[in-house]
Amino acid sequence: MNLGKLNAVSRLPALRLSQQYSSAAKAELPASLVDEEEPAYPQAVDRSGLQPQHKNVLFNNLPYQEAHSWIHLTEKYQRQAFGRYGAKSNVNPKICFDSRGEKDNRQVMQLETLLKMLKKNRAQKAEELEKINAREEDIAKKLEKLKQWKADLHAKVAKREADAAAAIARKERLVEEVRRHFGFKVDTRDERFKEMLEQKEKEDKKKQKEAKRKAKEEKMMAKLVEKTSA
Amino acid sequence: MAHLRETSDKALKLLRTLPRVQIGNLRPNPNSKQNDKRGRAQHGGDKHGAGNKGSGQRQNFMRLGYETGNQPFYLRFPYEPYYKGHHMKRQYPPISLLQLQVLIDTNRIDISHPIDISTLCNSGLLKLKPAEMEYGFQLTDDGLDNFQAKINIEVQHASEAVIAAIEKNGGVIRTAYYDPRSLHMLANPKKWFQKGVPIPSRMLPPQDAVDYYTNPKNRGYLANPEEISQDRLVLAQKYGYQLPKIEDDSAYDMLTTAKDPRQVFYGLEPGWLINIVDKTIIKRKQ
Repeated sequence: MNLGKLNAVSRLPALRLSQQYSSAAKAELPASLVDEEEPAYPQAVDRSGLQPQHKNVLFNNLPYQEAHSWIHLTEKYQRQAFGRYGAKSNVNPKICFDSRGEKDNRQVMQLETLLKMLKKNRAQKAEELEKINAREEDIAKKLEKLKQWKADLHAKVAKREADAAAAIARKERLVEEVRRHFGFKVDTRDERFKEMLEQKEKEDKKKQKEAKRKAKEEKMMAKLVEKTSA
Repeated sequence: MAHLRETSDKALKLLRTLPRVQIGNLRPNPNSKQNDKRGRAQHGGDKHGAGNKGSGQRQNFMRLGYETGNQPFYLRFPYEPYYKGHHMKRQYPPISLLQLQVLIDTNRIDISHPIDISTLCNSGLLKLKPAEMEYGFQLTDDGLDNFQAKINIEVQHASEAVIAAIEKNGGVIRTAYYDPRSLHMLANPKKWFQKGVPIPSRMLPPQDAVDYYTNPKNRGYLANPEEISQDRLVLAQKYGYQLPKIEDDSAYDMLTTAKDPRQVFYGLEPGWLINIVDKTIIKRKQ
């Protein structure tokens, strides 16, 4: 509470009153309304209840002029004091700088230099590309073979079917021959029929063997002829 | 074909005699109506849809998800790493070009000086939280068509269209990396300077960010300046605008101001002790 201000406020009505009276007649004013010498009040009493350090902070001064605690003696606190209050902090700014030795110990080391990182990146990219290329080449090679594999498969299937068909055809032929031999309708499962069939099969086999042998011989002859002629 | 004609004729003949098509005359779509009749009496009862004997009638079914012996689908994957490492990923809070334009138009940002994180944070409208893995701002393309300001801006990420928009207006954009310590300094410079510590030097980007910041297409601060100027031309051709000549500009000096890769603040070098109360710079004696 600023008492000075209070006085001014209470003084105003008195002034107005005195003015009114002065215009009417130069009557003497009562003693209480006369502007006396300002009453001698003591120095403005600080009734804030603030502690000195808090008041200092409010007025942007260093809170503690003398160290009250071990904290005020730490490097960190004094640096902060310099940062906040500047020259008023009575701190020598040289403590804000690390001494050369300390800096070397505490400095965070950069893991890798820029050039090394770039090199690593390039290597990584090249590796990935290589992987992709290798796989693609492998697939291309397999695709080339695919045509051949397909042809082989078709040939195999065709051969199997052809063999089966040939066997059936051969059987039919023999049965027909036996039938012709007998002249009349004989049951295939009849004994005589079976005997005849066996005979016929044997003959057929022999014939086929002969045919194969002949074919082989002819081949050999052809080869020899070629050799001798060449 | 004759068969079809006969049936269609039959159908038409039928139609003439049938009543008008109404909701009450229509049959519902197949499998749209479920019979709510409970399993009782002649047609709902007897075996109640469970068949004869066997595990079916005896209600001895396989457990749900069982795939007759092989590893069932719901057991094939012990976990799915949806958010693995998400908490450690770098984040770049966005600023749209529209926002930026509004800030400039309302005089919240002074475009007569280069713009960086500290400029944006000092405006009071944007905040960066480096502690929450926010490594800076990214410029987004929202409001790209109406952007009209010649600025020298430094962000941490920008797409090609955004770069084009800024360069089209005669401005300069650069992407730069700041390590978390530098980010704290830039986000609240006043608080940092009150610590009374000399400015440290900025760190280089980590391995996975080096690629981005050395690429001239991203206007990275570690990229080759010649390649950047080449790419400016290429971008102008791609987006179809005339590349403005910055050399002829009156604000050429401001537009070409760039920080050193180890510098954190414009005009202040690492190793300097700044005091904002006394407005002094204290340098170490060599």
